[in-house]
Amino acid sequence: MSPRAVAVVCAVIPALALTLGVALVDRLEPRILGLPFVLAWIVAWVLLTPAFMWAAYRSTRA
Amino acid sequence: MNAGIALGIVAVVVLGTIALGLRGVRGVAMDPQEYIVGGRRIGAFLLWLLLAGEIYTTFTFLGAAGWAYGKGAPAYYILCYGTIAYIISFFIAPPIHRIARERGYLTGPDFFADRYGSKLLGAIVALLGFLMLVPYVTLQLTGMQILLQIAGFGTFNPLVAVAIGFFIIAIFTFVAGLRGAAWASVAKDGLVLLGVIFAGIVLPSQFFGSPAGALDAVIRDHPGWLVIGPPSSPSGIVWVISTTVLTACGFFMWPQSMAAIYSARNEDALRRNAVFLPFYQVMLLLVFFAGFASLEILPGLKGPAADQSFMLVVQKSYPAWVLGIIAAAGTLAALVPASGQLLAAASIVGKNVLADYGIARDAAAQTRATRILVLVVALLAFAFWALAKTTLVGLLLIGYNGITQLFPGVVLGLSPRRPPAAAVGAGIITGLVVLIGFAVTGQGQVMGINTGLIALAANAAVLGIVWTVSPKRHGRTDTPLSTVASGS
Repeated sequence: MSPRAVAVVCAVIPALALTLGVALVDRLEPRILGLPFVLAWIVAWVLLTPAFMWAAYRSTRA
Repeated sequence: MNAGIALGIVAVVVLGTIALGLRGVRGVAMDPQEYIVGGRRIGAFLLWLLLAGEIYTTFTFLGAAGWAYGKGAPAYYILCYGTIAYIISFFIAPPIHRIARERGYLTGPDFFADRYGSKLLGAIVALLGFLMLVPYVTLQLTGMQILLQIAGFGTFNPLVAVAIGFFIIAIFTFVAGLRGAAWASVAKDGLVLLGVIFAGIVLPSQFFGSPAGALDAVIRDHPGWLVIGPPSSPSGIVWVISTTVLTACGFFMWPQSMAAIYSARNEDALRRNAVFLPFYQVMLLLVFFAGFASLEILPGLKGPAADQSFMLVVQKSYPAWVLGIIAAAGTLAALVPASGQLLAAASIVGKNVLADYGIARDAAAQTRATRILVLVVALLAFAFWALAKTTLVGLLLIGYNGITQLFPGVVLGLSPRRPPAAAVGAGIITGLVVLIGFAVTGQGQVMGINTGLIALAANAAVLGIVWTVSPKRHGRTDTPLSTVASGS
C-alpha cells in the first residue's frame, strides 16, 4: 500500500467506530468500569484514535 | 456575603486573565496580520490551545452537562464529533495552511475568494460565517449570564448579568487580538480543567461514593437514560450519527478555526496536533458525570434551565469560594472563545466585504472597521439572546447547520481541478434555503436525520449538477497543489 492509503485506512477505522460502530453497541450491559457499554466503547475509541493517527503520521513521514 | 465572595473571585480571575492577555501582546504591533492571524508565527503550544479552544468553552462546561441532564445519552455525540473532526483535520489542515501561506490569506473567506477566483463568493462566505457566529457568541453570553446569576445568588436579574458579560467580552476582544486570546487560553484551560475534575469526580463521589455510583442511581431512576436508543426515539441513534458527521465536517469550517490553521508555524505542527488532540476530549466524560449526578441531586429542571443544573448543585451544596472558583472557570470558558469568535466574525466582514469592495481602503481603516464590527456582532448576539430561548447545545447546532455548508467548497478547493465559483455558491445557497425551510417548519430532524445533514446533501448535489453542466473552465492560473497529507 502507498503511504497515503495506509494513512487513510488508519483514519477510517476510528471514524467508522465512532459513527456506525456506535449503532452496533448501543447497550447498557456489560458495564465497563461502571460505564454503560456504549459510553465505554466511545471513550475507548477516543483514546485509541491518537494511536491510529500516529500510525498515519508515521506512514506519511517514512 | 456569599455573593460577594463568589463574585469577587470571578472578578479577580477575569481581571487577571485580561492582564495575561495584555502581557501576551505587549510590544507586538497591531496590524491586521498580527491582530487576526498572530503574524502566522504561532508555535505548537499556542496552536494546540487555539485549536482546542472549542473543547473547553461554555458549551462544554455547562452545555454538555446540561444535555446529559436534560437528554441523556444523545449527549455522547459530543465526544465523537470532536475526535472525528481532528481525524479530518489531519488531512485537510496541512494543505489549507500551505495554500494560505503561499497565497497570503488572512481569513477563511480569502480561501474561497482566491481558490475559486471570485470576490463575490468570498463575500458570501464571509456573511455566512458572520451570521453563523452570532448564535455561537450568544451561547457564550448565555453561559456568562447563567454563571453570574448563580454566583451572584440572585443579585442580578438575567438582563443585568448578560449585559455585564457583554461588556467583559467586548473589552477583552478590543485589547487583546488573537495572540492575547491564545495566552488567555492558558489560564482558561488550567482553571477549567480544575473545574471539570471537581464537577466530574469530587462532586459525584461525595454524593454517590464514586462517579459510577451516580450512573447506578441514574440507571435505577431513569431506565434507558444512558443508552442512545433506537432510531424511533427522540434524538435516537440515527440523529446521533448524522449529527456527529455534520458537526465533525463543520468543526474546522468556522472562520476562527481557519484562522487558527493559518496561524500555525508549519504543517507538521498541525499534523501532530491532529494526532494528539483527541486526548483533550476525554475530559468531556467528566462533564457527563456532572450532568448525570445533577439529575439525581436536583431533578426537575426543564428545557434551557437544564444548562444551569450543575452550577445550581454547586451553589446549593458547596461553600461560596468553591462556587466562585467554578464560576470563574466557566466565565473564562465563555470569555476567551467569545473573543476569538467576535474577532473572527468581525475580521471576515472587515476584510472580505469592506476591504475587498473598497469600503475600508487602508490597514488603519480596516483595523478600525474590524473593531466596530466586533461591537456589531456582540450586539446581534445580545439581541439573539433576548429572542431565542434555547439550550446551549441548541444554539451551537444552529450555527453548525449553517457553517458546515462550507465543507464541500473547502475540500474541493484543495484540489487542482476545482468546480466553478458559481457551483460552490449555488450549493451553499441551496443548503441555506433548505435550512431556512426546516427552521420555518420547526423541524430539527427528518426520520431521525439531523436536518443540517440533509441541507449539506442538497448543497453537494446542487454543486455537482452546476459543475457538470457549466462550460469547461478556460485557463485559471494555478500551480498544481497536492491534497495529500505528505511533505511540508
